[in-house]
Amino acid sequence: MSVTNGNGLAKAKEYCSEYGLRAKELKAEGRQIIGYLTAIAPVEILTAAGVVPFRLKGWVSEPITKADAHMETIVCPFVRNVFDSALKGKYSFLDGMAMPHLCDSIDRTNDVWSYNLDLPYWHFLNIPHVTDDPSIEFTKSVLRSFITSLEGFTGRKITDQAIVEAVKQHNENRSLMRDLYSLRKENPPLISGVEMMEVMVAAMSLPVDESSALIKSVIEEVKRREPPAGKKAPRIMIVGGQIDNVAVAEVIENANAWLVMDDITMGSKAYWPTTDITPDPLQGIAERYLRKVRVATTYIDTGDTYEENLEARFGHMKRYINEFKVDGVILFVYKYCDPYGFDVPAMKSFIEETGTPVLYLEDEYSTSSLSRVKTRVEAFLEMIA
Amino acid sequence: MAEQRVPRALATAAAAKIPKMARANLSATVRAKDEGKKVAYSFIVVGQDEIMRAMDIVPAWGESFSGISAAKRDAEKYLQRAEADNFSRSLCTYATCNIGFDMWREELGGAMPPDAPWGGIGRPDMILGTAQQLCDPRYKWPQATRHYLRDVPVFIGGMYYPAWDPKIDHKTQEEYYVKYNTAELHRCVEFCEKHTGKKMDWDRLASVVDLTDRTWNLFVETYELRKTIPCPMDTGDAMNTMVPMAFMLGTQESYDFFLALNAELKEKIAAKQGVVENEKYRLLWGAGLPSWFALSDFQYFNDKGAVFPVETTYRCYEPVYNLDLPKTSDPLEHIAWRWVRFWTHWYDKARKRPGSTPAVERLIDYIEDYKCNGVVFHSAFSCRSWHAGILLQAEILKKVYPEIPVLIMEGDIVDISSYNEADTHNRIDAFIETLEAYKQKQR
Repeated sequence: MSVTNGNGLAKAKEYCSEYGLRAKELKAEGRQIIGYLTAIAPVEILTAAGVVPFRLKGWVSEPITKADAHMETIVCPFVRNVFDSALKGKYSFLDGMAMPHLCDSIDRTNDVWSYNLDLPYWHFLNIPHVTDDPSIEFTKSVLRSFITSLEGFTGRKITDQAIVEAVKQHNENRSLMRDLYSLRKENPPLISGVEMMEVMVAAMSLPVDESSALIKSVIEEVKRREPPAGKKAPRIMIVGGQIDNVAVAEVIENANAWLVMDDITMGSKAYWPTTDITPDPLQGIAERYLRKVRVATTYIDTGDTYEENLEARFGHMKRYINEFKVDGVILFVYKYCDPYGFDVPAMKSFIEETGTPVLYLEDEYSTSSLSRVKTRVEAFLEMIA
Repeated sequence: MAEQRVPRALATAAAAKIPKMARANLSATVRAKDEGKKVAYSFIVVGQDEIMRAMDIVPAWGESFSGISAAKRDAEKYLQRAEADNFSRSLCTYATCNIGFDMWREELGGAMPPDAPWGGIGRPDMILGTAQQLCDPRYKWPQATRHYLRDVPVFIGGMYYPAWDPKIDHKTQEEYYVKYNTAELHRCVEFCEKHTGKKMDWDRLASVVDLTDRTWNLFVETYELRKTIPCPMDTGDAMNTMVPMAFMLGTQESYDFFLALNAELKEKIAAKQGVVENEKYRLLWGAGLPSWFALSDFQYFNDKGAVFPVETTYRCYEPVYNLDLPKTSDPLEHIAWRWVRFWTHWYDKARKRPGSTPAVERLIDYIEDYKCNGVVFHSAFSCRSWHAGILLQAEILKKVYPEIPVLIMEGDIVDISSYNEADTHNRIDAFIETLEAYKQKQR
């Protein structure tokens, strides 16, 4: 990988636009590439196994042409698009996939994926939604089964020491990304939302050491920048599931606003929580994915009252709004997404109670509806200006 | 132009009793407070019904209320209320129908909204849900409901079974699944004890669990009488006779219902009395919840000489003597084993047929056992849990099994706006023609 100080942003843009470029190179070098979906795939274990964890994304500008013959159109449009991309051969370099149980759209199509892609390795992980102690113990058993299955595939033992090392690497990676996020706190931010999106997309396509090197390079490059002059604009936070393309960020920033923060699954949801190093390394991993990664499928009821539960579920957004001086929030939820869809009224009113306006958009995972999104976003920005 | 709606004819006297029973279930939730009982919003097929029955908690089934609202074509007013508060129309309409109803009742200060189907459903004292058996709405729906019923405590327990993987022997995983599910059911009991102020009577629970085992057995033994030609009861009826199983499990009334149904089917068989006079086609309802507002479509099939002797929908039970359940003194562990073994008991068979899956093996079992010559699926747009993966089942069935006609219908469970009767009937007509051609070819 040729990331040297000074070209991180360009490299990120390249990896983002040619998604999977580096994975193809690594594959040619003899590395095994294991794809995964969602923020709750335990990447530490994949890294410890010596394979390259590679998070799958879709192509929003491409219509779905192959998936509909195999997967119902009532499935989450993101999942359908990624599956369509895989069927079209965009992920032909994959040796296998690790599929965590995130939601019905993934759980109920796991067989559809494995049957049609027919990769040498496939493993489904039943990651629970509730976060109590029995769920942690259960998750550790699920992770042990995953380890056994990976060891069978790679022919290599995954030691506790290797897992601890992988945890440290991924924690460092997360810490670096948070450092980069902090450069968005400036007003105007030192890095745009579009650039940030490119870095995040690139980062999830790389082995963790290369991902960290890329982020470091970007940080150094961005820190050397002169703050953008003159543009006083509303500061926006976007909230949702996997928003893994620059299309919406471009809509926001082309409408004279800054995208300064997110609560999305390939963004802060993935980078804020770290994994504790525990005597049994699986304990720390289970706790991270169940109790710290706050996706809509994480069932949180730690409060004594409903209001306390809301705080536990969404309180981090309040903190983001304050820390990143957010003027408006866009809830961007895909059609047919039950987990995020059922959260909308509670989440919207919770954020609005902070005095921050909210725009809720239900959309497809496709640029075909972008003009509608653009109109709504522009009207929202006009309203909060 | 839509054809005039014709009520579905009922083939069994047992099915004709169902509306009264379903109505009584709803009424029980409304009058529970006067009787000093606690009401719990509950979900079917999650292993918690026996706990409720043993603790005299009155279950209030949101799925039933929404289904009834849909069957009466009276759900739209609730769906619109939910939509007005930003619940998407693409979400589970069982949930949004019920949430819309709850929103309305809260606006009325707790009074029953006017003209609620069959008197409405009682306001709950608690909500019991699960993650994950069987779908995301089973924990997201309670969470969303609580936004409107803020004083109502919610319990969500984990409930899983090993995922199908042809390369992994699920029996190596069963133990930790059962251990987990058992622990979560114990948490459910603790929650119910806290919110009812009563301790669990474990002997009573053991009796309820035993009664449930016997009901599972009797249910399947009764449904297997439908293998007879002509078929004495079809899926149109089964979408009614599911009520005592799904919504009344663990009660003597449920068991007695299937005793009566069993006797009635035996009488029909002895009299060679079928659902249709001239039974031409025997169909498997392969997957999918029905459009509750269009149950008369089953009659439409019947009118064409087609009968459904078997369905996968609401047949989430197997005689426990076929499941080889390990002995345990803990009734909750028994429940956990029962569900884990139920969901996985086609796995070994699927492993023996390369390229097959447990869901397809189940279809093949039913096709052969019930002598079916066609398969009908229904894909409901608002429910991913039961309806994603249907295309794959059809695709694999075609590959691993001799050719059989398949129809995939599209609609919804509650939202009538997705339904076009003329279109649906046209598709059924075309399918019947395919069935006829298939039969001719078989001769």
